Amino acid sequence: MVIRKPLNLAKFKVPKGRVIVLAERCKECGLCIEYCPKQILEYSEDYNEKGFHYPVVKAGMENECIFCLFCQEICPDFAIFSEKEE
Amino acid sequence: MRIGVFICHCGKNIAGVVDVKELVERASKLKDVVYATDYVYLCSEPGQKEIQEKIEELELTHVVIAACSPKMHATTFARAVKGVGLNPYLLEIANIREHCSWVHHDKPEIATEKAFRLIKAAVAKVRLAEPLEPIKVPLTRKVLVIGGGIAGIRTALDIANGGFEVYLVERTPSLGGHMAQLSETFPTLDCSACILTPLMVEAAHHKNIHVITYAEVKNIKGIIGNFKVTIEKKPRYVIPEKCTGCGDCMDVCPVIVPNEFDQGLGARKAIYVPFPQAVPLVYTLDLENCLNTQKLVVCEQCYKACGPRAINYLMEPQEIEIEVGAVVIATGFDLLPIENLKEYGGGKYPDVVTGLEFERLLSASGPTGGVVRRPSDGKIPKRVVFIQCAGSRDPEHGCPYCSKICCMYTAKQALLYKHVVPDGEAYVFFIDVRAAGKRYEEFVQRVMGEERIVYLRGKVSKVFQREDKLVVWGADTISGMAVEIEADMVVLAPAVVPSKGTADLAKLLKVSVDEFGFLSEVHPKLRPVESVSPGVYLAGAAQAPKDISETAAQASAAASKVLSLLSQKEATLEPIVAHVDKELCIGCGLCWKACPFKAITMVREEKREGKKRRRYAKVEEAVCQGCGVCMAICEKKAINVAGFTYDQLSAQVKALLEDE
Ligand SMILES: Cc1cc2nc3c(=O)[nH]c(=O)nc-3n(C[C@H](O)[C@H](O)[C@H](O)COP(=O)(O)OP(=O)(O)OC[C@H]3O[C@@H](n4cnc5c(N)ncnc54)[C@H](O)[C@@H]3O)c2cc1C
Ligand code: SF4
Ligand code: SF4
Repeated sequence: MVIRKPLNLAKFKVPKGRVIVLAERCKECGLCIEYCPKQILEYSEDYNEKGFHYPVVKAGMENECIFCLFCQEICPDFAIFSEKEE
Repeated sequence: MRIGVFICHCGKNIAGVVDVKELVERASKLKDVVYATDYVYLCSEPGQKEIQEKIEELELTHVVIAACSPKMHATTFARAVKGVGLNPYLLEIANIREHCSWVHHDKPEIATEKAFRLIKAAVAKVRLAEPLEPIKVPLTRKVLVIGGGIAGIRTALDIANGGFEVYLVERTPSLGGHMAQLSETFPTLDCSACILTPLMVEAAHHKNIHVITYAEVKNIKGIIGNFKVTIEKKPRYVIPEKCTGCGDCMDVCPVIVPNEFDQGLGARKAIYVPFPQAVPLVYTLDLENCLNTQKLVVCEQCYKACGPRAINYLMEPQEIEIEVGAVVIATGFDLLPIENLKEYGGGKYPDVVTGLEFERLLSASGPTGGVVRRPSDGKIPKRVVFIQCAGSRDPEHGCPYCSKICCMYTAKQALLYKHVVPDGEAYVFFIDVRAAGKRYEEFVQRVMGEERIVYLRGKVSKVFQREDKLVVWGADTISGMAVEIEADMVVLAPAVVPSKGTADLAKLLKVSVDEFGFLSEVHPKLRPVESVSPGVYLAGAAQAPKDISETAAQASAAASKVLSLLSQKEATLEPIVAHVDKELCIGCGLCWKACPFKAITMVREEKREGKKRRRYAKVEEAVCQGCGVCMAICEKKAINVAGFTYDQLSAQVKALLEDE
């Protein structure tokens, strides 16, 4: 199969968000990482104050957040949210 | 009993092979035959008159006509005998043309003998014939049209304008079919959308038309006059009555996927309309690509953006039951998948495109706004090679037939390409140019006369990539030279094939298809828009490849057939149905199991004094198709198809086999 890219992609805009993580609040439940529809999150290498791995945006996927806000909605500890990028 | 035998010459078709005088002489000696004659063309006005006069003059009670296939003129002759008061089921036709003179033209003596036997068999059969009366059933004055392309739209409008209710069912989210994808149309170069869109809108707003898009016919039961149809509406996840078509949802949707309508050359969002002029202008959420699933709502962007709250992520498929008296199938065509055309690099090189893809590139409302660009790098191609008959007229691809539209649309595309890229070069490889339509040849001649459009007669053997060019190897059979062209883009004209799902639909409606899967008409000349299933009509490219003019003409023809059916008081069915002899039936139920139309039920007799109530088979006449399966399986000869009874068929076979 030929993988052709649509010729008019430039005309299509998608909302963009910037993920902000309040690392110290995280208790490593993993919901956001599991459910991010674009799968842009992963566990941090280091620990927060409470000793948990918290979510970070995967390297190179900084522009991939689509501002669906699902992480913000399911996080039980209000530890993650996204800000709209214009 | 007074039988008359009429033998037709069919000009030289029959009389050129078979000795008709001998037939007349021998036929007149058959039992109960009081008159035999021959005539040059029985189907002609004077021929029919001759039959009528003799019936009256000689008080004939039964008639045998030896002529062409009953498929051809059974109705003509039935009408003629009925005209003078003879029940048409007391007429028997012996086919001495297709079954005799045509196939045995090299052996006239044997042909004459066979023709005589066929006549003798027909006489034997008609001697046992009973007069029959057509069966009348009530008629539902509504119509189902399947497929919302130009064929379906035209048919629906014509029927609706005649005052009857129409359900127009389309599988995709919008009406329009392939015509909506075209740029401009040959031979007039009218803008396709400009002719089509007003018709789409008219259909959608017509008070007699119910447009049901994004839906498919799931089941159909019943017969002419009374079909019960189940339609499944796929969930759109957008409530049509609430959607205003503003497109706010689309703007915020984060998912971009290729747009099928643009053949993947353009993009769309997961919530979309296939094209801006779509009818109905209601958005469709495609759950397969949406971030949400049936179980989990992750993204609510469109829901939040939608002012009228038209979006419902929990919508379910919906079944609608309707009743109609007639069905028109207008399901159109597809193109042979480009991956099947490996020799031309189809499916391998992005700049080898189909004619339909090229239409999207030429279209002002297409992904490039009408600027022709290469899919690989977006550059404007300066040299384009068109390859006609890509798969058509080619048994190896399973399409030995001519796809009929490609010569014309390739010429059109070459011309339109020159309009947008005036310094470009176009090469067209063709086997023959078939331009047999009104003003078609003139159009092709005009294109051939254009500068830098070169027609090369011959086949392409190979297309391959060399750096960023496509190299086309072919043969020019006129100069006898091998040619190599370095092109920027290659446009194939793939064979036209029946649209996906045609076979299933045909099975559901008991309509036959030809060896390539196109729907079959009863007779190409006499009944071109009727299917073999009574009450089911055909329109458009589903029946065979055709262009828009032909499609529109056939669609109107189908509509006129439907209108003449619906303007009757009742639907008339052939009385060729099975009858049960209650005395002979032992109630074994073999026929009940065998009947493919479920026309038979097993019932118990009304109370009989002192005796056991017997079980026997009962035939629903309006459902019976007279196929005769029951008759073949019944061990007691208790079930007989009227007009083709066991005794009649036995007499016929016996007459065929016995020597004089
Ligand atoms: C590249 C190209 C260029 C062309 N250019 C021209 C031109 O310039 N001039 C010209 O006269 N002709 C042209 N044609 C031919 C033209 O496209 C056809 O004549 C016309 O589209 C046939 O109309 P139709 O309604 O029979 O079929 P279609 O257009 O195929 O419509 C059939 C409709 O039925 C729907 N459908 C299919 N199956 C089902 C089902 N089971 N249930 C419900 N709905 C179903 C489909 O979704 C579709 O909407 C061109 C064709 C091609 C491929
Ligand atoms: S935002 Fe709502 S009303 Fe507007 S097009 Fe989308 S679904 Fe329809
Ligand atoms: S819910 Fe689905 S269709 Fe709606 S915006 Fe999100 S991804 Fe797009």
